[in-house]
Amino acid sequence: MASTPRRLKRSGLTMPVVTPRFINNAWHRGCDYINMDLEDSVPPRLKDVARNLIRESISVVNKGGADAVCRINHDLMEADLNAVVWPGLMMVNYPKAEYAHEIQRMDGIITRLEAERGIRPGTVEIGANIETAVGVANAYEIVTASSRVMDFGGASGYDMSRDLGVEMFVGFDQFVYGKGEVELAARAAGREPHAVPFTPNITGSVSDPDRAFAEADAARKCGFRIGGGLHPAVVEPQIRGFAATDDEISDAMWVLQEYRKLDRTGETWVQVDVASVDREGSPRPMAADSYLGRHRVIDRYEAARAEELLQWRSRCQERDQEKAEAVARVNAAEAAESPG
Amino acid sequence: MSILVRRSNLVVPAVQSRMVVRSWTRHADAVTVDLQDGTPAAELARVRETLRQSVALAGKGGAQVFVRVNADFVYADSNAAIGPALTGIVLPGVEAADQVAEADAILADLEKIHGVTRGSLEITPSIETAAGIWHIREIITASPRVRQVGIDEAALAASLGITQSSEHDAFVFARGRLCIEATAAGVQPIAVADPMGVQTGQISHETMTQIATDSRNLGFKGMVCGHPSWIDPVNEAYTPTESLVDYYTQVREVFAQALAAGTAAAPFAGRMIDVPVDEWAKDVLAMSAACAARDAEKQAALAAAEASFDSSIPVIG
Repeated sequence: MASTPRRLKRSGLTMPVVTPRFINNAWHRGCDYINMDLEDSVPPRLKDVARNLIRESISVVNKGGADAVCRINHDLMEADLNAVVWPGLMMVNYPKAEYAHEIQRMDGIITRLEAERGIRPGTVEIGANIETAVGVANAYEIVTASSRVMDFGGASGYDMSRDLGVEMFVGFDQFVYGKGEVELAARAAGREPHAVPFTPNITGSVSDPDRAFAEADAARKCGFRIGGGLHPAVVEPQIRGFAATDDEISDAMWVLQEYRKLDRTGETWVQVDVASVDREGSPRPMAADSYLGRHRVIDRYEAARAEELLQWRSRCQERDQEKAEAVARVNAAEAAESPG
Repeated sequence: MSILVRRSNLVVPAVQSRMVVRSWTRHADAVTVDLQDGTPAAELARVRETLRQSVALAGKGGAQVFVRVNADFVYADSNAAIGPALTGIVLPGVEAADQVAEADAILADLEKIHGVTRGSLEITPSIETAAGIWHIREIITASPRVRQVGIDEAALAASLGITQSSEHDAFVFARGRLCIEATAAGVQPIAVADPMGVQTGQISHETMTQIATDSRNLGFKGMVCGHPSWIDPVNEAYTPTESLVDYYTQVREVFAQALAAGTAAAPFAGRMIDVPVDEWAKDVLAMSAACAARDAEKQAALAAAEASFDSSIPVIG
């Protein structure tokens, strides 16, 4: 069963904090989180400038309900943490994580900063991103190095490709072992794996909405719950891809209904030919030719899956409502301030 | 740090003198003279008598030369092969670190006895069992002599009761583990990409190029070649193409312009260019230069060997 993250991260945009138009527009993009970047998208000569922008940018990017996240530099960890751990920051993304001691050091610094800056202890999360073979090899030690590590993934992407010396976008799953190791480590540790199943991609486009939807849909069906991207065009498709469809929700309710009937018989499982089920009824199973198939087994595992799906939908709806209300508040405030 | 360019490694049975004699003309980056498979036990002593000469011959075209020793005769086989032309040994059937440590000690002794630079001889462990895959980290870090490590897929399949087929790839996990652990340890993984394990003999240039390209894109740094026809496509596949060099040259230019404009992320050809892409561009261009240098080195050796070719050299073995 998919784990349940503390905060939903279905869609997020990573953007250089030094580009004002990105930061100023971030709040109405509809993301669950905004990842303000101090790392790869910020030129070395602007690192100090970027650091000093984070504190004020937190309240800019999260005013539409998105959570504020910051990606720091691997080699500038302490200086970056000092600049970014302020009230309102939900998570620090740590790139190229390779050893448990790095995470333990981060935890110590964040703990001190939380105490000094009036932040509720233990609330700033760490996202540990695996981007090298060493990181994959030490995955379990890294993810268990701190209880703050709530988002754990990677083992693919440009840095990983460079470390392995491979070209990306070649049309087959080059990273299957590393991604599997990282996911396994995350799940074994009870943390949220940040991953997507392989879907062929030979273009490398970061703005293809169809691809973003297909990837998010596949990710959800494989039990992943975290998305993210670089271009505003992928936000809505990701949110949609991570949402259960109406047919899936009806199916889940039907599964639970059938399971309750089963429970009363004393049997532990039953197989149902969904082609014989009334298609006009409600709730009803997915069609016989759907990806779930025609002959469906109803048992406690299916019931648990259905239960989780309904909970997931509920959490998605709550989060969407939360963001909509935040955006409405901003719009109302701006309307009140505007002349006339 | 210099880049180790060892794209193709042609295996020739030590007992097949015609293959050994011709191996230096094949343009392989490395040649492995095989004392294990294909050399009957009864022939071993005789083959060892001319092994040093075989090694020297195999290296005439600029290839680095290895000898695949018998796991039970590491000392005798290595002792027969050692000389200025020997780059290292391929150690078969490695399942534990102590096998590598023992081979390391043997090579250290032989280097001293034969006046070879201390620590210069390499050990390439050949992984052939599940135990070897499981203990890969300990194996490849057991000696600084280990610069490459490979999976012998045919042997691995045999040890696991697997009938290899091009329809079902049984070694996704094994290859992935090898690439990750080797890269993490700074060791080059060499192997073959599915369905390479089921291929034997002559294969079309196009097919081999694709297989080798897939292999490279899994993280391998070279391929063992069971047939001379594989060498050219393998060398090509592991060498950055002209179009890649052009593309990454442009990437570097675009990224430099972006940095000058105050950003480290810029769109180019439908993709996003940032620091890791620029770093990879540097790697590709460096690899291209290293491959060109290696090819020039081999070409010079080949030309020198052809100029001094003496057809009266006796067929050995």
